[in-house]
Amino acid sequence: MPDTDLDFQDAALAAEGDSGAFERLYRRHVTRIYGLARRMAGPDDADELTQDAFVRAWQKIAQFRGEAAFGSWLYRVAISVILGHRRRLAIHRERTAPEEWNREGQPSHERSSEIGMDFETAIERLPARARHVFVLHDVEGYKHHEIGRMLKITAGTSKSQLHRARMLLRATLA
Amino acid sequence: MSDSTDTWRDRLSDYLDGALEDSERSELEEHLEGCEECRETLVELRQVVARAGSLVDAPPARDLWPGIAYRIRETEEGERRGKSFTFSVPQLAAAAVTLVALSSGIAWQIASGFSARQAEPAVSVAQAPAQTGLLLASRIASHDYESAIAQLERVLDVGRERLDTATVRKVEEKLALIDRAIDEARQALSADPSNAYLNQYLAGTMRRKLDLLRRTAALTEL
Repeated sequence: MPDTDLDFQDAALAAEGDSGAFERLYRRHVTRIYGLARRMAGPDDADELTQDAFVRAWQKIAQFRGEAAFGSWLYRVAISVILGHRRRLAIHRERTAPEEWNREGQPSHERSSEIGMDFETAIERLPARARHVFVLHDVEGYKHHEIGRMLKITAGTSKSQLHRARMLLRATLA
Repeated sequence: MSDSTDTWRDRLSDYLDGALEDSERSELEEHLEGCEECRETLVELRQVVARAGSLVDAPPARDLWPGIAYRIRETEEGERRGKSFTFSVPQLAAAAVTLVALSSGIAWQIASGFSARQAEPAVSVAQAPAQTGLLLASRIASHDYESAIAQLERVLDVGRERLDTATVRKVEEKLALIDRAIDEARQALSADPSNAYLNQYLAGTMRRKLDLLRRTAALTEL
């Protein structure tokens, strides 16, 4: 049976409270969700955000109607969790340590343009907004209007952030 | 670098993604023919996009499922606890009377077993012979409780490396909250030892601690 059919079957069971079925969904999708969390939020928070995403999915699984693939639905849930975490973190930093937040929020050419740096590491070091747009567009294949909705920015801003990210990353390929 | 190079370089990503109007694309291609810098940049941007598309996802370094399973169970139990309070008013009144009568003495005794600042009970054992059996049982329960907590804490110390950091952090946060609640309840009880609500609250909080430790210790054995 293809994975998508297995997903539908297990999602239906999980919606009835079957945690064994939900564990099977976890096993099939954890690598992709973890990859997303790691690239969007960095390795330090990736474990916890992956867990948060699956716990949220469990809580909302009754809302999964099967119109799209389970993986796509789960992905949307995970993105929402990751971006929510990011917003909470930004608010917290603004309240507690504005200097630190500003430092991270600014482009850091020196750091992200180190020649020969591992590409994944270079992505992690991009400024947050540019990183989110880059991961969602170039790694995950979302369109600018979709990214705009997720990040609450215009499609134009999404395009300019993507270009900024690509320009910063090209030095790592030298 | 000329201004026109700057302007066109900023459009290279759009060009690469096929997002330029026909006329603009033609102009950019014309510029590219004469601008080596923009041509090089375009090649590099193509490489970045290709690299992004070929990234391979790596699984997490450890199994995150036990932590998820734990939190799912917590959620479920929380919901069940929430549902269990949907009694009618007469049911609640009857339950409250029974609970106060049965658990206040036991809870006070459990609490006093832990506290060096033990206050005298408002009603002594001699004054309440009917409760003697319960009080004796509660003293034993108090000793058992302390032993159980100590044993579970030892199990957790040994097995905590098998849990992921997120789970350990959440458990520690919860334990800290519960311990604080227990301390506050004990302090309040030292001033008002016969307060039925405080007695029940303390007993319930101690049960929560025991329950949390038991379930976390079970996770280390998964």
